[in-house]
Amino acid sequence: MLKTKSILKKLAFIMAVVGPGIIAANADNDAGGITTYSIAGAHFGVKMLWVLFLITISLAVTQEMGVRIGVITRQGLGGIIRENFGIKWTAFAMVAMLVANLGTITAEFAGVAAAFSIFGISKFIVVPLAALAVWFILLKGTFRTTQKIFLVFSAFYIVYIINGFIIHPDFGEAITSLVKPTIEWTTPFLLTMIALIGTTITPWGQFFIQSYVVDKGLDIKHYKTEKAEVYVGAFITDIVSFFIIISTAAVLYKHGIRITDAKDAAMALRPLAGNLAQLLFAFGLFSASMLGAFILPTATAYALCEAFGWESGFNTTWKTGRTFYSIILFTIIVPALIVLLPKISLIKIMILSQDVNGILLPFILIFVMKIINDKRIMGEHVNKPIGNIIAWATIYGIIGATVVLVVTSLLGYN
Amino acid sequence: MPYISEFINTTIQDSSEKNIGKLKDVLIRPRAGTYAGLGYILVKNKKYKKDFFIPFEQVENLSNKEITLKNVFSESNIEHTVPPEHIFLIKDVLDQQIVDMGGARVVRVNDLKLGVFEGSMSVLGIDISFKGLLRRLGLTFIDFFKMMPSNLIDWRQAHPIKGALRLDTVSQNLTKLHPADLANIIEDLNIKQGGQLVTSLDEREAAKVLEEMDPHLKKILIKHMGPEKVGKIIERMSVDEAVDVIKTLSKDEARHFLSFLQEGKSKTVQKLLSHPNDTAGGLMTTDFVRVTPDWTVGDTIDEIRKISPSLRSLLYVYVTNKRDIFQGTVSLRRLLLAQSHQKISSIMKKTRATGNLRVHNKINEITTTMTKYNLYSAAVLDKKKRLVGIVTIDDIMRRIRPNA
Repeated sequence: MLKTKSILKKLAFIMAVVGPGIIAANADNDAGGITTYSIAGAHFGVKMLWVLFLITISLAVTQEMGVRIGVITRQGLGGIIRENFGIKWTAFAMVAMLVANLGTITAEFAGVAAAFSIFGISKFIVVPLAALAVWFILLKGTFRTTQKIFLVFSAFYIVYIINGFIIHPDFGEAITSLVKPTIEWTTPFLLTMIALIGTTITPWGQFFIQSYVVDKGLDIKHYKTEKAEVYVGAFITDIVSFFIIISTAAVLYKHGIRITDAKDAAMALRPLAGNLAQLLFAFGLFSASMLGAFILPTATAYALCEAFGWESGFNTTWKTGRTFYSIILFTIIVPALIVLLPKISLIKIMILSQDVNGILLPFILIFVMKIINDKRIMGEHVNKPIGNIIAWATIYGIIGATVVLVVTSLLGYN
Repeated sequence: MPYISEFINTTIQDSSEKNIGKLKDVLIRPRAGTYAGLGYILVKNKKYKKDFFIPFEQVENLSNKEITLKNVFSESNIEHTVPPEHIFLIKDVLDQQIVDMGGARVVRVNDLKLGVFEGSMSVLGIDISFKGLLRRLGLTFIDFFKMMPSNLIDWRQAHPIKGALRLDTVSQNLTKLHPADLANIIEDLNIKQGGQLVTSLDEREAAKVLEEMDPHLKKILIKHMGPEKVGKIIERMSVDEAVDVIKTLSKDEARHFLSFLQEGKSKTVQKLLSHPNDTAGGLMTTDFVRVTPDWTVGDTIDEIRKISPSLRSLLYVYVTNKRDIFQGTVSLRRLLLAQSHQKISSIMKKTRATGNLRVHNKINEITTTMTKYNLYSAAVLDKKKRLVGIVTIDDIMRRIRPNA
């Protein structure tokens, strides 16, 4: 009796902190994510699985750092950067974040458009409606409920896992690819690789996890549980990514089909869902996109307001919170307009925006590294050597890949 | 008039035009309610390992081109130790958050405006405008029409929250604010600073502030501060608010918090805890004035004088018989108009005419009754018609508009 009680108590404690890690990780599989993983599998087979393996570790480590900074400083990343690096570096970091986030929001609206394009519904109808829906739901304050609904919807990813078993892929080959690095020195390969990194570890994810921890009021005593949750979250997300890649590799890559629109990507689910594959894929892409479209404008506005000292929050009035609302409006309208440009390729938007994220990520991570290794800020909770090694390896890895990408595309290796 | 950002890294020369370093920071000794004169400048010079302080009286001329000193600088009396009770304007104030008492909010300092006050160079205002940001970034040209408004906060209205000047000394000034405004400020601060600020207030004030806070943030803050500190504050809260606070906690935590309360209070709180949140039982307080019909008006007024400090509001005196059965109410107005020898029984409004609530009444039943009988506070009865508490209008309002 006593024992079950203490187990229940522990369980209740765990339930109380479950959230940030899983949500952040789950929201990683948004429109950009689902597209990038599909393309990685369809165009390059299982060749990129080793990158996925490495960045799973990086994701866990960087998210854990965000949690730790949040728990210790009780402040968002924007505020800490402002207070410790001065105004110029803050402006630099915030511009980097804003650009990356605008890219991601654009990908979300492109995701909504792509989902409906499967049924032949025009983006000129869907995207304005989605933008309006996001704006009104954010204003009406039903944000939390909505977020939960889409989070539940995004459990749709399980179908990729089931699908992955149905197609009987060559698991031996997949496992080998996880640990055996293969690289092609071509622009498409490098672009996809950077997008793969940039969609998994994101600048916004770094801001998001930290403010989530602060908002939830998590304490140092929650740290261990939260750390475990972040690790589990990173693992779960990338399990899904793993199965998306092997599904598209088995169904599309083997037959030389390239992804040019959402219908092609949906074909990967055919072994499981048959003719329902397109419907299922559209539903999943739509909910994942909407989840991101809700979270990102708000997260962007909060981070900017914190750094620059503007009043924020949905309980502010129009007058005092003018900047806050303007940022949200801006980050909804501009991306929606980009998606509405005629003749623009939705798939390209979704993958290139992830490249933008990947290229800008090191800058944000360098700030995180400076903060987490600063004794004045973190006290005894500064990074251990192993964390530093993994994080710096990630930063240099991306910078290296970006440099190589620029060089190869200049030399014309296509 | 100059801004402090213009002087960062300006070369400093002594009266013999010898370079002695660059300006790294400026120190002031803030005092409540007045502009703070510049006290020292902090000089950085690679020749010396540590930065050093020069009293501001020695500064002859202050401009963004160069700063000159009145005397010849001598290395022998270099001062390295931080002057007591001073704060660093650039390290502790610039880019940090400050409390703007005038606006009852927390803002970030983009720049500091300097000027002469009573003959000495002082910090006059805090720039929180977008223009200030642009100036710091060297992008003022963006405002080519000079359309952007300046937004300065008077230094006397502002309170830094980082550095040597700690919140506990500040809070003496903050207590002039209304608890609701103070609660807004605490909501804007991070939980650490908020906790410090609440702790630095006296317990009665802290209790009022906590009552005004957003429920979600209140819960986080209370958990952060821990039972020992919060126990003392809850002690000073009205019973229903204390119950609200305890209700936000898990059972184990609640028990822990209760153990820090005095026995009597703890018992009442526990009794109230058994009622669901949104019923009259859950909303009611047990802090009210209770008399029996045989009291005189004089006795009653004496009683009110005695216990009034522990009551948050007082609109009616509630009358019960010896077995606690509810008999009726007497409004303060009736009490004032009556003669002091009159018996309560002769001036009270009887039960039938007053309207009352039952512990299980839901919020819409409560509002209906209170509207119908025009009550600012209503008696809550149990099954046996015993008076167990009262619900006041502010509790209802809070329930209807939780975020105000």
